Amino acid sequence: PAAVPSQVVPGADPSARQLCFAWGPAEVLVCETLFGRRGGSLSPGEPGLGRALVPGALTGCGVAGSGEGAPSSSRVFVVRKDQDIYIQTLRKLFNESHGIFIGLQRSEEELAGKSRKAQLVQVSKNYRSVMRACMEDMHQAAISARDPALHSQYSTQVSILSAMELIWNLCEILFVEAATAGPLLLRLLDWVRLHVCDVDNMVREVLSSENPPKHELFWNVVDVFVLQGRLDEARHLLSREASADPTSVNMYRVLDDLMKKMPVPTLGNTQTLTEMELKWQHWHEECQRYLQNGTFASNSHMESICKILLGDEDAILEKKELMTTWYHFLVTRLLYSHPTVKPMELRMDLFLGGESSPEPLDTILMAAFEFEMHQVIKECSIALSNWWFVAHLTDLLDHCKLLQSHNLYFGSNMREFLLLEYASGLFSHHSLWQLGVDYFDHCPQYGRVYLELHIERIPLNTEQKALKVLRICEQRQMHEQVRSICKIMAMKALRNNRLGSALSWSIRAKDAAFATLISDRFLKDYCERGCFSDLDLIDNLGPSMLLSDRLTFLGKYREFHRLYGEKRFSEAAKLLLMLMTAHIAPCSFWMTLLTDALPLLEQKEVVFSAEQTYELMRCLEDLTAGKSEKQKFQDDEVETTKVEMLRLALARNLARVIVKEGTLEGS
Amino acid sequence: QVSVINTVDTSHEDMIHDAQMDYYGTRLATCSSDRSVKIFDVRNGGQILIADLRGHEGPVWQVAWAHPMYGNILASCSYDRKVIIWKEENGTWEKTYEYTGHDSSVNSVCWAPHDYGLILACGSSDGAISLLGYTGEGQWEVKKISNAHTIGCNAVSWAPAVVPGSLIEQPSGQKPNYIKRFASGGCDNLVKIWKEEDGQWKEEQKLEAHSDWVRDVAWAPSIGLPTSTIASCSQDGRVFIWTCDDASGSSWSPKLLHKFNDVVWHVSWSITANILAVSGGDNKVTLWKESVDGLWACISDVNKGQGGVSAGTEGQQNEQ
Repeated sequence: PAAVPSQVVPGADPSARQLCFAWGPAEVLVCETLFGRRGGSLSPGEPGLGRALVPGALTGCGVAGSGEGAPSSSRVFVVRKDQDIYIQTLRKLFNESHGIFIGLQRSEEELAGKSRKAQLVQVSKNYRSVMRACMEDMHQAAISARDPALHSQYSTQVSILSAMELIWNLCEILFVEAATAGPLLLRLLDWVRLHVCDVDNMVREVLSSENPPKHELFWNVVDVFVLQGRLDEARHLLSREASADPTSVNMYRVLDDLMKKMPVPTLGNTQTLTEMELKWQHWHEECQRYLQNGTFASNSHMESICKILLGDEDAILEKKELMTTWYHFLVTRLLYSHPTVKPMELRMDLFLGGESSPEPLDTILMAAFEFEMHQVIKECSIALSNWWFVAHLTDLLDHCKLLQSHNLYFGSNMREFLLLEYASGLFSHHSLWQLGVDYFDHCPQYGRVYLELHIERIPLNTEQKALKVLRICEQRQMHEQVRSICKIMAMKALRNNRLGSALSWSIRAKDAAFATLISDRFLKDYCERGCFSDLDLIDNLGPSMLLSDRLTFLGKYREFHRLYGEKRFSEAAKLLLMLMTAHIAPCSFWMTLLTDALPLLEQKEVVFSAEQTYELMRCLEDLTAGKSEKQKFQDDEVETTKVEMLRLALARNLARVIVKEGTLEGS
Repeated sequence: QVSVINTVDTSHEDMIHDAQMDYYGTRLATCSSDRSVKIFDVRNGGQILIADLRGHEGPVWQVAWAHPMYGNILASCSYDRKVIIWKEENGTWEKTYEYTGHDSSVNSVCWAPHDYGLILACGSSDGAISLLGYTGEGQWEVKKISNAHTIGCNAVSWAPAVVPGSLIEQPSGQKPNYIKRFASGGCDNLVKIWKEEDGQWKEEQKLEAHSDWVRDVAWAPSIGLPTSTIASCSQDGRVFIWTCDDASGSSWSPKLLHKFNDVVWHVSWSITANILAVSGGDNKVTLWKESVDGLWACISDVNKGQGGVSAGTEGQQNEQ
């Protein structure tokens, strides 16, 4: 297998033996350790097998200074992929391209042919414009950065973005737009002109000088124009030279004429291929004739230009310094070669001269020129430290229906694979993870499960964040995750003694057990303090009261208090009784309830009917009878007094009510 | 390319044996031969010591974080034969439960999927595996599998929770019928799969391929496919990837990931199970990914070195 890239963790102590490794949600942990200290470091063959250390060595294991070597490092390294770090600087890129991505996924698939293609080209241009905007920002940041390390970081990013835009642009021309030979050539020329900028300064210098023809670099600039197919500009410059030197007027006129007559494809190309070819053939022969009969013999510059027009490879190659890159060389050769025979021979070897080997950028561009789309994607994946580029480019190419044939082993496809990688990386960021959600949504095979696994790891620092995450899960019917998040939030609230919040979270989680636990806490609090907290919540439980018996009791008990507060005594009485007779109240609470009945029993007006009073008495007897002898013995004075008071109150009430009911009956 | 974003100086006085991030990557737990377990807050590149937990009487081998829905809970296991469960209550970390049912070093602890409740599996050098399950109000129930591996058990790892059959939402309060499984690796050179049936744990499968002690097992997280995947590594220098295609869990087939030149101690899966990390005796951690054609390829290795960060330079190699 190819050489595996090695990543070095700086500062780790080389005298320690091994690396202990653990995955975090977004990062990895690395620390030095010495494995083999646990579980028996000796393999079966060794004496004393089974137990790693001799008995009694509990205190002496591996302590520094035991002669086993230098003390080991006590540091743990938290390591992250670079792309996750550069997320901050590329944030704008990620945000804006997200919009373009979503737009593309939702775009009109019904559009066919030309209009669809135009749409896709526009998308591609939008991506590039975002890249350029990001480059500009980064460039500004680089300039204004005082810290040299930061400056260098930004500058590196600028060159990476620039390379990315170069590649994307080429892919747009070759794959997305995929025009026919003529228009394709025009696009490639534009591409070269835009991206090979090393000569721009020189051009500017010569053009702005007082007397350009006298400038020492004059001919270089003319050559540049010719090489880049900017023949009108070349002609214009030459005309100034012509007027300066009357002796070679004839030569200039001929060359000017040849340049003017060169058949070039126009965008609104109306001529047929045959017509084009004939014209070109005719023109090519004319150039040949002038060259051969020595018209330019006295001026080597002009002679070499004529040779270039004829597509002479050696002549073009001589101007290597002005082309600076092999792909410029390639496009120039294409321009001056036969219009229908367009072998895209890269001939990089000619350009580079065989000493230097191709850089990653070269490899990628080569693959593009050879129309090896998958190779382009693969090489980009290797060369770039972040998935943004390959994920979005591949998605676009997929929409152009160019990636049909490849299905990866594990059933997914290249597009989805890359999108999953990219989106996963976004989850390590505290706010960009939201973009990741949308990307996962558009991965039909594994998007959902990846989302499930990642969304669980988002720290729920604030209630708002939790609600945001919840909404996302609910929208996608991710019930398990909803429940899990609600449980986590309930637990957090409980730990911080926010009972009301804990209760509403556990209701949302439909967690009966937890709701019971919290209700108990509420009731306990009431018993201790004599009042309820979070009344609003309890009062408005509604049907969710039914989640757990304890919760129902809590709700009803609070209702009892409300009724009592509103002086609706008979209703309150009825409810109170029902809580015991229907066994909604836990036995442990009965005493409290009966004690709550006391004020009702001592009202001026009789509240409890005879039957109700009998019921209450029965409840009291059940309660006291239920106590064991031991318990009765342990009951303190207060307890016994309470029971006595209750018995008395109940008896008195019974007496009053019998009289009242008897009187009514009688009248 | 990677960069170190934080270097936590744990101040452990002896070898660190394990370091684990919590669910959200906000806290780091470490354990050491100095018998302590430490917890740090590592948000935003910081390192604040939150707790220095003492309670073990010997080197602490592993720590494991429970799912946050149960609160902030950490388990640790040690040479001192104990498993301790720590909990954060009212802002402080305390021992909440101590299990002393093993006869020798407890080597590995692993929390079950949260769907099953709060359950901890523990593997020990006495050959047994215990399962500690929280039943409420501070109570834990223990189930023990004696003689799970002759000579000793070195590692335990739970299978992800998969609800068999129906995908419709269960009515509240009703627990779906999960089939609980976990894998273990031992000094009998075997990887075993255990399944709970009627409240009892039974040996379901014996996976034989290693020729020396199995040091670690790791059951891969589920990405929704019916296949199950387990990674195992051994004293014999081999790492195997075991896969089982059917839901019944009956036919497992091993694929050799790689034969290393030294003992392989540790294997672990990334969250989405697409990368396997392997720690070996050769000073390196290698990361592996399954490629297009089903073969496993090493995508990078992480090793130690002095000086600045640079990709492509070899760390200093040690003489053995």
